[in-house]
Amino acid sequence: MGLFILRRIGVMILTALCMTFVVFFLTNLYPKLETLAKTQGNARMTDAQVASWIERNGYSGPMILRYGQWLGVVPGWTRVDAETGDLTGRCIERTATAEEALNAPTFCGVFQGDLGYSTVSDDEVSSVIGGRLLLTLKLMAWAFGVMVPSALVVGVLAGMREGSRLDRSLSTFSIASTATPEYVSGVIFIVLFASSTSGISPWLAEMGWIDGRTLFLGSARSAMEDITFWNFTLPVMTIALYGMGYIARMTRASMAEVMTAQYIRTARLKGVSFRNIVLKHALRNALIAPFTVIMLQFPWLLTGVVIVETLFNYNGFGWTLVQAASNNDIELLLACSIVAVLVVLITQLISDIGYVFLNPRIRIS
Amino acid sequence: MTQLTPQPTKIHPVAEMYAKEHREGKIDRREFLVRATALGVASATAYSMIGLSPAHAMGHRQVPPMGGSLRIQMEVRAQKDPRTFDWSQLANVTRGFLEYLIEYNNDGSFSGVLLESWEANEDASQYTLRVRPGVTWNNGDAFTAEDVAANFVGWCDANVEGNSMAARMGGLVDPETNRVRDGGVVVLDDMTVQINLPAPDITIVAGIADYPSAVQHRDLIGTNPLDHGIGTGAYRVTDYEVGVQARLEKNPDHTYWGDAYLDEVFFIDLGQDPAAWFAGAEADEFDMTYETVGEFVDLFSSVGWEQSDVVTAATVVIRPNQNNAPYDDVRVRRAIAMAVDPQVCLDLGINGQGVLAENHHVSPIHPEYAELPPLVIDKDAAFALLTEAGHADTEFEIVSIDDDYRRNTTDAVAAQLRDAGFNVTRTVIPGSTFWNDWTTYPFSSTNWNHRELGVIILNLAYRSGVAWNESAFANAEFDALLDQANGIADADERRVIMVRLETIMQEEGVTLQPYWRSLFRHYRPGVINAEMHPKFEVNIHYLGVAA
Repeated sequence: MGLFILRRIGVMILTALCMTFVVFFLTNLYPKLETLAKTQGNARMTDAQVASWIERNGYSGPMILRYGQWLGVVPGWTRVDAETGDLTGRCIERTATAEEALNAPTFCGVFQGDLGYSTVSDDEVSSVIGGRLLLTLKLMAWAFGVMVPSALVVGVLAGMREGSRLDRSLSTFSIASTATPEYVSGVIFIVLFASSTSGISPWLAEMGWIDGRTLFLGSARSAMEDITFWNFTLPVMTIALYGMGYIARMTRASMAEVMTAQYIRTARLKGVSFRNIVLKHALRNALIAPFTVIMLQFPWLLTGVVIVETLFNYNGFGWTLVQAASNNDIELLLACSIVAVLVVLITQLISDIGYVFLNPRIRIS
Repeated sequence: MTQLTPQPTKIHPVAEMYAKEHREGKIDRREFLVRATALGVASATAYSMIGLSPAHAMGHRQVPPMGGSLRIQMEVRAQKDPRTFDWSQLANVTRGFLEYLIEYNNDGSFSGVLLESWEANEDASQYTLRVRPGVTWNNGDAFTAEDVAANFVGWCDANVEGNSMAARMGGLVDPETNRVRDGGVVVLDDMTVQINLPAPDITIVAGIADYPSAVQHRDLIGTNPLDHGIGTGAYRVTDYEVGVQARLEKNPDHTYWGDAYLDEVFFIDLGQDPAAWFAGAEADEFDMTYETVGEFVDLFSSVGWEQSDVVTAATVVIRPNQNNAPYDDVRVRRAIAMAVDPQVCLDLGINGQGVLAENHHVSPIHPEYAELPPLVIDKDAAFALLTEAGHADTEFEIVSIDDDYRRNTTDAVAAQLRDAGFNVTRTVIPGSTFWNDWTTYPFSSTNWNHRELGVIILNLAYRSGVAWNESAFANAEFDALLDQANGIADADERRVIMVRLETIMQEEGVTLQPYWRSLFRHYRPGVINAEMHPKFEVNIHYLGVAA
């Protein structure tokens, strides 16, 4: 078991290296550096000014060496200004005095625990990404809290009597919800519940049943400070609905299969009540397959939050990723990809280990 | 000894002449104000010269009650050296603590902020700037002529990448050293600075009223204002998270020279999608928009927000780049101009929210605007001209940024060219990459902001070889005439030359420039002095909320 986990961590590091190198390569292509120079310097700089900016800010060396600097295995670049004599460099803070500049460390990369500097936020990557991840964690926790129980209930209800009217209607609902991507359902939700000119809000306001202009808020910005039912329902529902259908389908399939098993028939012939068959005998076995599916939903949620956070203006991890990508914020983007790799591989690991506990027939060796 | 009581300022003789012209009906009130105040006449004096009571004329700015908090929807971008500002949004935050020498009001006049007054000599080649007494920096230093001079030196440093102030300083920059000309900026005494230009220049006042000209402390030129927070204004930044929000509050440790009303101001970043802004307004996230665009103008009004609009010289140009075939052929360019009806672009591009323009990029609200015969739109003649040039089958690719009005306007151009028989393809590029090559696309659209004078825009965008000359237009006659126009303070005399400049622009088919945009802003009832500004300026010192 220990060896298995160690091997998994090795794979994780290797994947993170490959992934970040790809991101590094793509974001350091010259046209992307030009974008960076123009967003950082002035949108209307001339080509000569762009070249000088790139040179002055340490983006001009060979790419592999700069990747090494980011990792922390190659000394960070330094540069002495020919005119003023000021020392600048990768490891030197922008506001540092001359003395501090001289005493700056030689290496500063991921291995030294320095994720680098976010150009768009004008701040350390570590201080940007921490708070944003926390916000996304809250959103994901709520979405999971809504998604998993309701999906399991829907799946079990549908699967316990395959082909019944209940099964058909719940299956239709699951398929519809999983076929509606977030950017569609989110917009529909806003129009229906969070617009003062369309949907049900004007009617509710007219009847005097709501105090504000709209039932729910179409912007989750206020939820960053204080989560309420009114500002967080729509983003949570938008994420939850999409994943819910999929998990419910998987649960239903698994449940339906279990319900046809020999031991269920035996139990039924022995006169066990249907309720007890479902809850005591079928459910536990039926939940093994959905467990993997649920763990797989974590990486899926990462893509979901990108859309939902942008749509509802919730400044979390997904929103940060969009900002970093559209501004070619190299080091922020790299940090985002590390986080993404970690999330995917750790949930995989948990899923594999959890599987062993749920299904004793499987051994890890 | 310095004189303590200011001497009665002599009114500039040219300003007197403008006043006469206004009384004779040659120029309207806005034009008069722009010209007279640019010569250093205080706006109150300027109003009185044409028989208006300044109290009445300036009456649109109310005195709000003290206190309150206001949330403004606006992008919050990473701050940098003000000289390199490329977004008005950056300056709207720093304006709370970094003030300007002169400000451009939304009625088209200039008034002094850190300058008490300024005067130009007869041919507008020498300016005398008088510093406002009693202004202090929030670190306790007095604001003096040294600060003004140091900022001029900083603005003139063309070696700084992205320093757009260098272009605004014109002749004050020595082309040899790319720095300020010797003897260009002279400190006469603690309170007076003299600017000596090698040639007459009437644009310098507009230049130092523009948003990148925020005045920094004499020792802090070239720094990011967020790093030190030192300024003369009444506010201080307490919180600045790029892409999320900025918060300013009244600085309790600083005695501000003027009045400021609000206790705190938030700038809330809701991204670039106007639909998200509207959702934010419905969710009560903010009280005032930075700008309301397109169909959202009506939407915001429909939910009970107050609307403010201003006609500007802001526009969109859809220009061929003459370094690229087939646009090096004047017949092709003229054929393009002849095939496109500006009215259609105005209607389809911006829902008719603006006024028509004439493809020469000088607006009727510019003082030197000269009226030319109406444009001839003839699709058949256009195609005949194109065929004559041998490009009837050539494919024309028109590039635009992926946004609301610029894309729609460019689509309207493409559709009209197709109607005329041109073979047109359209390419839409996302905002993140569009600006990389904006000056070199063979045929693309660009938005241009409002400028105070017609010659400013011609100098920036159409003079041979200048950085922002995206149409690659190079014409010796045009350049020579422009040089001449730059030295004529009298707009009527300048207009004689403008006729020819504008005609060259049309004859050469330099650009399609179909309309002038009106700008809109919305705010909740009860927000005071939040009127739209032609240059998107927000000065939080003036804002207030009804008690």
